[in-house]
Amino acid sequence: MHETQQTRQQFTGASKYVLDEELAQIVNISMALEMPLLLKGEPGTGKTMLAHAIAESLNMRLIVLNVKSSMKLVDALYQYDTLTRLNDSRFGDSNRDVSNIEEYIRMGKIGQAFVSDERVVLLIDEIDKADSDFQDDMLDVLDQMEFDIIEIDKTIRAKHRPVIIITSNAKKDLSDPFLGRCNFHHIAFPEPDMMRRIVQVHFPEISAELLDHTITAFYRMRDFRNVEKKPATRELINWIRALKADPDFQVKDLVKGDIPYLGVLFKKSPDYAIARNMVSRMRL
Amino acid sequence: MFTDFFYLLKDVGIPVSPTSFLRLQRALSMGLILSLDDFYTAARSILVKSERYFDLYDQAFAHHFKGAELKDPEAFELTEVAKAMLEQWLKNPKEMSELLGVDEESLKKLTPEQLIEYFLERLKEQTEEHHGGNKWIGTGGTSPVGHSGYHPGGMRVGGVSRNKSAVKVAMDRRYRDYSQMGPLTQAQMGEALKRLRNMVPVGPMDEVNIDKTIYQTMKNAGEIEIVFDRSLRDRLKVYLAIDNGGWSMDPYIEVVQTLFNYARAQFKDLKTFFFHNTIYDYVWEDPARFRKPLRVDDLIGHDPETRFIIVGDASMAPYELMATDGSIHIEERTTKPSFERLRDIAEAFPHSVWLNPKMEVEWEYTRTIGAIREIFPMFELSLDGLEKAVSHLMKKN
Repeated sequence: MHETQQTRQQFTGASKYVLDEELAQIVNISMALEMPLLLKGEPGTGKTMLAHAIAESLNMRLIVLNVKSSMKLVDALYQYDTLTRLNDSRFGDSNRDVSNIEEYIRMGKIGQAFVSDERVVLLIDEIDKADSDFQDDMLDVLDQMEFDIIEIDKTIRAKHRPVIIITSNAKKDLSDPFLGRCNFHHIAFPEPDMMRRIVQVHFPEISAELLDHTITAFYRMRDFRNVEKKPATRELINWIRALKADPDFQVKDLVKGDIPYLGVLFKKSPDYAIARNMVSRMRL
Repeated sequence: MFTDFFYLLKDVGIPVSPTSFLRLQRALSMGLILSLDDFYTAARSILVKSERYFDLYDQAFAHHFKGAELKDPEAFELTEVAKAMLEQWLKNPKEMSELLGVDEESLKKLTPEQLIEYFLERLKEQTEEHHGGNKWIGTGGTSPVGHSGYHPGGMRVGGVSRNKSAVKVAMDRRYRDYSQMGPLTQAQMGEALKRLRNMVPVGPMDEVNIDKTIYQTMKNAGEIEIVFDRSLRDRLKVYLAIDNGGWSMDPYIEVVQTLFNYARAQFKDLKTFFFHNTIYDYVWEDPARFRKPLRVDDLIGHDPETRFIIVGDASMAPYELMATDGSIHIEERTTKPSFERLRDIAEAFPHSVWLNPKMEVEWEYTRTIGAIREIFPMFELSLDGLEKAVSHLMKKN
């Protein structure tokens, strides 16, 4: 075998995640090029799940940075715990060395990924929540693979370049320099046959009959017009769980057009009203 | 390698950067890309940074590697042809009826709308039966009802290829819905709503927030810091006037109404009116344009701060816009030509826009669009157009 191919880890899927080939290839290319992979797509297309799946399949640790709107980059890198230091200096009842600031530096999520002794998967979830300064600054750090801790004048360099997955719900447009440094993929909503496989992964013992009818009904309901938030994979899985838990439910109800637990699928009240209306029309 | 392809992407309007192209070269030299299928996905993820360009990428890819035609025939081309036929019919009914092989008198009894429907029916028959034919819907040829570049059944040969090859995938154009070109679709609803969220009035930051000021000052250890808030403004009133006559507007009416209804909470008042083709003495509050008429004279007395948004294709026969009795509805007799009415509205509501589901490139081909653009600022009914329209509506003065 070719030498580079031996050392290169390949991602092929994981136990709870159904991977389409196109995406697998993009993940592999991004890993080989050592580029962060930016994933966009409507909620429920499994953007976050992908990072979990990669970590599982490559047997790496997963570090998740959940981006919040108020977050500053330094929070993601490290924290200088001044309060504990003040406490220690006043009471002196710990075995930390108060004059050594380094003992009071705690690594943030990106910092943890850098100092880890083995290669990790770093998931930066919902990057679009933060402002664009955060995004640009962060990419500098990820590009250089190092950052400075100002308080102790020390540079932290990544021991191993982490596999970086960034997700975005496209609430805001990301800046051009940011996009320029990522590989990009948009996850489209799964086709019905893909969805069958996804459901089967979650419910291995599901009967073919129930699977058929729930998926048909689900895609029909996704086609309802004027609905703001369409049901996604998560809603479908919860819905099937609800149906299975209900002892009175029978598959033939679905065939008749009787759809219970609509509220699991449509979570906004105007959407729910529209769906109720449409479903009752389907029955006729 | 693939420099041509790179420039093609640039030419069709995808922002591709040289750096990313070099990166693609690196991927190629690393032996990561072994087939055209690999190339399709790899090049897309490395070069194209937004799903809005995926559709363009697909087209460019199919064109470059397969020679597929780059410009897709417009979906509503059929209706365009039918419209051309109607115009032809108005000019010379005898010739048309002979061409169609029907009695002139029986066609004359139909209203313009029925006529169009009739033509559409005929056209559909033709596309089904005449594959590649040029019998009477000529391909830019001899027949008077031809349409440039329209060839039923003869367009775009799909070609035989491997099962699910990259080119074929590209030719599926799965990302059409995400494309930012083309009129608004249901799929873009969420994105479009975000554009509307900007329709909130913004006052200057000139109100002192006492609580926050005290808090900040204490936080600064006594150093005074005054915190200002935006002064409150009343929410906007929005009037939406929709052209709901005729088939050409049908796909957009629902989209537009859903859009504004979801945004309703942020408006003080949202009213929807209906008209056909253009506005004469009345607009209607019911979609059937029958039960609840509202005189335009009354309408223009309303609050001038109201945002007036007209949605329509602005395409009609010139006389409908210019003549005093221009309406194509026999029962609607008017006192003023429509373009004067429109001008009255534009004056009464300084914050007004016209949203047109027809794409901007087509505008210059329709005379009435040009005339209406002189009265209302016109924007495409697309994500980009909506964004521009909203910023226009929110402009001061």
